Formats: sequence, C-alpha cells, structure tokens
Amino acid sequence: MADLTLTVDGKKLTAPAGTLLIEACKSVGIEVPSFCYYPNLSLQGACRMCLVKIEKMPKLQTACTTVISEGMVVATDSDEVRQARKSMVELLLGNHPLDCPVCDAGGECELQDMAFSYGAAESKFMEAKNHKDEQQWSPVVYFDRPRCILCYRCVRVCGEGMDVWALGVQNRGVSSVIAPNKQDHLECEECGMCIDICPVGALTSGAYRYKTRPWEMNHIGTTCTHCADGCKTTLGVRRSDTGMEIVRGDNRDKSGINNDFLCIKGRYAFDFAHSTERLTQPLIRKDGKLSPATWEEAFALAGKNFAEIRTAHGGEAIGVVGSSRTTNEENYLLSKFARMVLGTNNVDHHRTADFPALAAALRGKSGQTASMRDVLSAPAILLIGNNPTEQHPLLAWQIRSNVRLRRAKLYVVNSQPIKLRRQAAGFAQIPAGAEAHAVAFLAGDDAALDHLVHQSATRESLLALRDKLRAETGLVVAFSSEIRGADVARLVHSKFAGAKFIALADYANSRGAADMGLYPDLLPGYEPLTTDSRFAQEWGTLPTVPGLTVPAMAAAAKAGTLKALYVVGANPVARFGLDPFAFSGSFVVVQDMFLTETALMADIVLPAANAYEKSGTFTNTCGDLQLVKKAGEVAGVKSDFEMIVRIADAMGFEVRKLVPFGGGTHADMGQSRGAQSGEADRHSVWLEAHGLEPRMSPFDPVAIFDEIQRLVPSYHVSRLDLLAGNDQHTDIGEAGPGAAHDPNLIIPANDDLFSSGTLGRYSHTLNSVMENKNAPAPSEVGAD
Amino acid sequence: MSVIKNIGAIAKGMSITFGEMLQPTTVENYPDGPGPLKGAQFQERFRGTHVLQRDENGLEKCVACFLCAAACPSNCIYIEAAENTAEQRISGAERYAKVYNIDYNRCIFCGYCVEACPTDAITHGHGFESATFNASALVYRKEQMLSPTPAHMGSNSVFNHADVEAGAPALPQAGS
Ligand code: SF4
Ligand code: SF4
Ligand code: SF4
Ligand code: SF4
Ligand code: SF4
Ligand code: FES
Repeated sequence: MADLTLTVDGKKLTAPAGTLLIEACKSVGIEVPSFCYYPNLSLQGACRMCLVKIEKMPKLQTACTTVISEGMVVATDSDEVRQARKSMVELLLGNHPLDCPVCDAGGECELQDMAFSYGAAESKFMEAKNHKDEQQWSPVVYFDRPRCILCYRCVRVCGEGMDVWALGVQNRGVSSVIAPNKQDHLECEECGMCIDICPVGALTSGAYRYKTRPWEMNHIGTTCTHCADGCKTTLGVRRSDTGMEIVRGDNRDKSGINNDFLCIKGRYAFDFAHSTERLTQPLIRKDGKLSPATWEEAFALAGKNFAEIRTAHGGEAIGVVGSSRTTNEENYLLSKFARMVLGTNNVDHHRTADFPALAAALRGKSGQTASMRDVLSAPAILLIGNNPTEQHPLLAWQIRSNVRLRRAKLYVVNSQPIKLRRQAAGFAQIPAGAEAHAVAFLAGDDAALDHLVHQSATRESLLALRDKLRAETGLVVAFSSEIRGADVARLVHSKFAGAKFIALADYANSRGAADMGLYPDLLPGYEPLTTDSRFAQEWGTLPTVPGLTVPAMAAAAKAGTLKALYVVGANPVARFGLDPFAFSGSFVVVQDMFLTETALMADIVLPAANAYEKSGTFTNTCGDLQLVKKAGEVAGVKSDFEMIVRIADAMGFEVRKLVPFGGGTHADMGQSRGAQSGEADRHSVWLEAHGLEPRMSPFDPVAIFDEIQRLVPSYHVSRLDLLAGNDQHTDIGEAGPGAAHDPNLIIPANDDLFSSGTLGRYSHTLNSVMENKNAPAPSEVGAD
Repeated sequence: MSVIKNIGAIAKGMSITFGEMLQPTTVENYPDGPGPLKGAQFQERFRGTHVLQRDENGLEKCVACFLCAAACPSNCIYIEAAENTAEQRISGAERYAKVYNIDYNRCIFCGYCVEACPTDAITHGHGFESATFNASALVYRKEQMLSPTPAHMGSNSVFNHADVEAGAPALPQAGS
C-alpha cells in the first residue's frame, strides 16, 4: 500500500496506508499509552488511555482505532492530552484496590506503570471501594474482580486467539464484569493466555500464585519439553533447597516462533521437575531389589558389564534405546557411543513420524519443508489427519492466526470433525483410517475416491477440494503420522505448486532423535551404513549390518541373544507394550527421571536431568532448531550427556575420541576481553558463534554440536542466530538418502492437551486439571 | 631556654590530662553497667536488629511483598511467600511470609527495608549484641525477629479471644 506522511509531535514520519496511528507512533519511538489495544487482536477502544490530539478534530481521538491519513498532524504530549491521561488513570484507580503488595502482577503491572508515568499523585475519590472476593475459576485461573480494568483483552484472546470463547462480559457500563463460561467456573483449554495478557492482576495463575515476585526470579529462555512444536518459553527460576525451582513459564518477550503463545503444558507443566517421586540417587539391583548406590559404583558396574558383554558376545548382543526428549547433542552422542564404543547398530527410539521417508522423498530438493513461521505466513494450508488443537497447540495457533489475520485458506482432511474445521475453507471428513487413500487421491489417483466418500464428503466435493488445492500456490502441507512409507513420497510428489511439507511427530525432540540417527540402519543425517560414509571416516570402523528395532530387541532378549540393554530417557516397556520379563536375562541400564515401567526392570537406574536442567538444542517437528538452556543446577541428577560419557570412560574408552573436547583456541581465556561495557559478552558470543571457545570439558555439549554441524549437512545453520535465541530452520531435503521402514514401527503417542507421556503423569498441574474435568459439575451458582 | 619552654609545654598538656581525670566519667560502662542493656545507651532512632511487627489482632503485618528484599542494597533478605487459609491465618492479607530471613553477615543497617515496607511490618529494633563465632548463626529467621503476641491475647491470637477472656493464660511468644 502507498506510504502516507504525517507529523507526530513535530516529527515527520511515513507509514503504509491503513496503519493504526498508535503503531505509526511506535515505529518512530513515540509511545502512546494503551491498555485495551493489543497487536493482532481486534480493536476495542474501551480504555481511552491512548487519547491524542489530532489537528482539525474537535475532540481528542483514540490512537488505537484511528487509521493514519496523509498530512495528519498529531500531538501526543500536549497539556490537554496529559490531563486526559491523568483523568483516565484516576478513573481506573477509582475502584482499584491498593493490593499491590499482595498482587501477583505487582512489579510487572501495566496499571502500576501507567500510574507511575501518567497518573496523579492523589485521588479525589472518598467513597468506600466496592469489594468482591477473589474467585477460583479452574485449577489454573483465578479472578479478582475489583482489580479488573475492563480492557477485554482476555475475552478477545480467548475467543479470537484461542477460538475457545470461554470468557465473556456480563452487564453494562460500570457494572460490566468478566465472566467464565460455566457460571462459576471455566471449562476451557486452560492455556493461561488470558492470564498472561491481562495487564493487571485481575486474572492470575494458580501455579505461580504467591510464590515470588517478578524481580526475584532469574529468567531463562529455553524450549518447551512437551510436544513437538518447540515453543520458546521463558522460565522464571528461583533458588530453593534442591538447587533451583521453576516457578513460572511464559513468553512475554514475544521472542521465538510462538510469539506470546504457550499452551497449558508449556506454561504450567514444568512442575514434573519438582515431583517428589523423582529419582535423586543411582539405584543398583542387589538381591533382586533396587537399592541406592553411589555414582562411582553405578558407572563402574555399567562400564564393566557392557565391556565384558561386548568382548564375549560382540556388539550385536547390546541394544540401545534413545529418547525423543533428550537434546540433539545427547542423541548424536548416543548414536556415536553405540556404534563406536559398544560396536552395535541395535539403536532405536520410539518413532512417532516417518522422517526417513520424508528425507528420502525430498532428497536433493531443498526449500520444500515448512518452518513453524511459514505456517503463520503461508497463503494456504492443507492439514491431513491429526488434531492440532489437542496434539500440536502451537501449530493450531499459527493456523488460526494466519486464517484470522492474513485470510489464509485452510483445507482439512480428517476422519474426525476436528475443531480446526471452524477455520477451514474446505473440510473433507473421510472414513477412519483412510488417510493413505486421501493422499493417493490428492496425488491424482481417482480410484482412491471410492474409499473416501463418506458422510458429507461426496465425490463432487472431494474433486472440488482437490481442484482448489491444485490452484493454490505456496501451500503448506502438514500431515499426521498415519501417512507413512510410500504414502509420504506420494504426497510429496503430488502436483501442488511450491508446496512445503511438515511431518507431525509427537515429542519435543522426535525430529532431533530421527535427525541424529537413532535408527538401526541410519546414521545421523539419514546416512546409510556404508563403509565410506563421513561418519566411518571420522569415527573409525563402524558395524555395517543393520541392527535391531525395539520389538526385535525384545524378541532377541527373550531368545537369549541380546545380553544387555541401555535405555536413555525412554520407556519402551510402556510405549511398545513389551513384556517386561523379556529382559529378565539381560543386563539393563536405564537413565530416567522416574521409576518408569522400564526402569523397574533395570539392573542399574541412573537419575537423569530433564530438558530444563541441561543445555543443548532441540529440533521441532518442522525442523526448526532452537537452543535449550539450563535453568539451574539440581542436586542428585546428571545430564544424559554426562552419563553416556562416564559409562564410556568406565568401559576404558578414550573419551576424547567420543567428545572432541579440549580443542578450539587456547589464546583467549578471557584475558583479552575488552573493558567497555558489554564487550566481554559480545566477544564471547562471537567466539562461541565461530566455534572458537575452548571446549573445556568432556561434558560440554557444544563440543558435539561442533561435530554435528560439521557432519550433518542440514544442520549448517547460522550459529550466531541460534545463540541469539532465534530458531534456525534445518531442511531435511539437504540430509542423506533416508530409508524405507516398516510402517508398524510408528506408534503415535496419543497425547492430548492435558497429557504428555511420562512427564504428564508427574505434573501436578496437568493432573489437577484432569481431575477437575472429570469431577461432577458443581451446583449451578451465579457468577456474582 | 628551649628546655624551659619544653617543660612549660608538657606541664600545660599534663594539666589538661590531670584536669580531665578529676572530671566525672562520661563513657558508657558497657558491658558492666546496670540494667538489661548492661550500661549501653542509645538514641530512640538507633537502627538495631530488625523486629517484624504484628497488628492489633496479633496477626503478622508482613504480607511477603518482597519490597524490602528489593530495596535492600546488600541483598540479605530472603523470603518465601505462602497463602493464608481460613484454618491457618498468619497475616492480615491474602499472603504471608512462610520464611523470612535476614542475613546479618551482610546487613549494613541502612534502614532501606524499613522505608520500603508498605505495611510497616519491618522495623529496626534496638538489638545490637549479634556477635557470634558462628557465621550461620547470623542468619536470623522470622521466629527470631517477630515481636511477641500482645499480652492480652493467647497463643493463637485470632481464634482464642474467647479462651483468654474466659481466664486462659496468655502465652508469651518466643523472640523479640
Ligand atoms: S485459560 Fe485459555 S482457554 Fe481458558 S479462559 Fe483463559 S484464554 Fe480461554
Ligand atoms: S480480567 Fe484483565 S484482561 Fe480481562 S478485562 Fe479485566 S483487566 Fe482486562
Ligand atoms: S504447544 Fe507444544 S511446545 Fe508449545 S507450549 Fe504447548 S506443549 Fe510446549
Ligand atoms: S537495614 Fe539495609 S542492609 Fe539491612 S536488611 Fe534492611 S535494607 Fe538490607
Ligand atoms: S516486611 Fe514489609 S516490605 Fe518486607 S515483605 Fe513483609 S510487607 Fe513486604
Ligand atoms: S488503547 Fe485505545 S482505547 Fe484502549
């Protein structure tokens, strides 16, 4: 659109036509105070905080609802405007309690800030304040009515943003009141977006309630450890008797792929980390019982037995199961450890999407995978299978936002009437299990139509849908794990102009586990087991016979040929439904946070740190690589990375070959860093970004990350951007040739919004929300 | 001549010394003086170890707002907050300080915490004998700093008015 020129406070500025005055002012650094205005939500014009003087207009105007026009002359700081703001703050404070000392928003409250910057020192109001007691609307949402300033941000974010519409307004004028959808409580997705967006402390969270104050915490930006979408989350961390306690999760700085979005799991379900059932001491099976032991004992025993079994029976007698929730560095290290130290290709993990098939289908074609950001900007999106509202909350948010703000077209092909159909321009409900036929049909095979016609989906409507899809350019196709093996290639090769693809997996680092080669027949980067691969050159002679998958390992253990099993952060017994007694004859080492079904049958259990307690990187299901940062040190646990290295060491392996530490430059140990403020930081970031920081320890994941970036082509991304906390898209099309796998090895996690595998079982918040949902509805009472 | 001059100077100096020796003592005879203060004297506004005050109902005034901790230049106040319940009411507002520590290894008795407190909960008392051989004994806990429950109240000042009025002895509280 054409640029318009206007004058604000004597400054000339240009902005595209259609820009709101408040945004235009912001672009040149003039702040117009606002409460109800929130970018990307509908306009409300409720608070009148943003009043400005526009020449030739008789009265003050609200900058948040005024669109700029050519030659406009605006004053945002005249006496009249200042007086108006002062009166607005005074009115807001008329019935606002003086609660700041006990209010959870105190210290980061917009009303406090406004009163400070624009308010009057005293109030003219003498009347007693109208008090109402605080109400608990759900396990996570509390509402304190007198604190509400009626900006309606919560109502809009819940409705427009979340498409839940659980909050509404009752009454009118001064007696307006925000009300939940079930008289006295909420039935909703418990995402906490309304709490996050509330400018004051009217909506507060049950999880963070009265725990601390904003300035008392350290804030650490890391990546969520639950679903595969990879939201960036800022953890509020406080010291505690175990070392540290995470008290809050949000993304208020709007950095990262998710802007300020987080679902209930990212926002509240970090509390599994503080579960009293966590293991904090290694356990060794003695006389049939798991009993506490020291770390030294445990590592020595694990190392000795692994070494003996390898010597006596060869590497084929050892199985390794990795995790979809450990970092890329740990997965890569595990892959390397298995091949190099144990000498086995029996490496596997719980697969929730067919990434090797996607790698094979996209081989050599870069630019055909979509990032999470692409979902927000694509002109059209096709969703086959899956229910993102439950399983991929961020993906669902991106889709909804794109449809709402950019009028993207969403096409949904699903066997269930999933909620996202409300945003869809085209929806085809196909019979359950017919996703593969849908792919065949979309790829041009009309014979598949017979399997698809169902309920409202007629031949004509399906054909029309396909025609519409073919007419779209720049389509983003997200497909569920039902699309596997040959179907992936069929979908990728169907004739959609400029389409980009996303395979939907289930866990935080499912994609990373696949990328890092936790497969019996693939090395990191989907490289096959050839003798002349980059890895064979770098790591030395590697076994080239494909190893066993998890079910095959169980069978081998039963048959007595698998003598040892090493499980890192996984629960194969529960996930694959294995017979736990299959492994009773094998030596089993398990690294986990809790005594899972798998850990219960182990000979050695090593307490592991979770993703919030270590550093590294995660790759989300789209391939966006992001940093995982350590929130703090916790007593009694070690990272999986350290434990793998320690076991290798106990086996007598030279650790430096496993983790190339001690390299880098030795010239700069901090001495040459500049004296100017910030220079030392900039210097260290620069060194880090260029791989020049010395890797001082064999437990430093960055040493392995250097190697990953060197050997896995799709991970050639900007280190500087990554370190700055930005997401970096890795393109599976640049990876190795991939492979065709047995489709039955893919087992969906079937988590919903309130469950998250093993972690979810130990999260107090998720459990209390679930209990609350299952509880009988309380007697109907009015909301006041 | 200079010898006589020097003797004169010394005599003048000594005259002041001997003159002062005959004046009454003005130094405090601490710690050998009389009374609980052992002879120490100070001004009303002296800033000693802190006292956490109670309100007229005997409830703690502190609402765990952390403002004192924020104001403290030596970062020596540590607080953990918790929520009052109907059964267990500790402070007058919704929240109270479950843990309230001041580390006197670090406190510089500047009084900023007292300035910052919105509820007048923390005040400077006149306590000053805090020397110890064990540095960890200098981390004072809330119980050590709380003022005693008013004498007219029982151990649970809110809920047993009736007991006290019926003749139950008002229990003294530890600390002061
Ligand atoms: S928690 Fe989320 S879904 Fe529930 S009312 Fe708030 S915004 Fe709506
Ligand atoms: S509860 Fe908060 S977000 Fe909602 S209207 Fe009131 S002040 Fe605004
Ligand atoms: S959408 Fe996924 S990644 Fe984002 S907060 Fe929720 S569980 Fe975490
Ligand atoms: S007196 Fe000063 S140093 Fe001591 S606790 Fe108070 S604010 Fe901190
Ligand atoms: S003593 Fe005063 S300032 Fe400190 S936490 Fe308690 S109420 Fe707040
Ligand atoms: S911000 Fe403009 S009226 Fe509220």
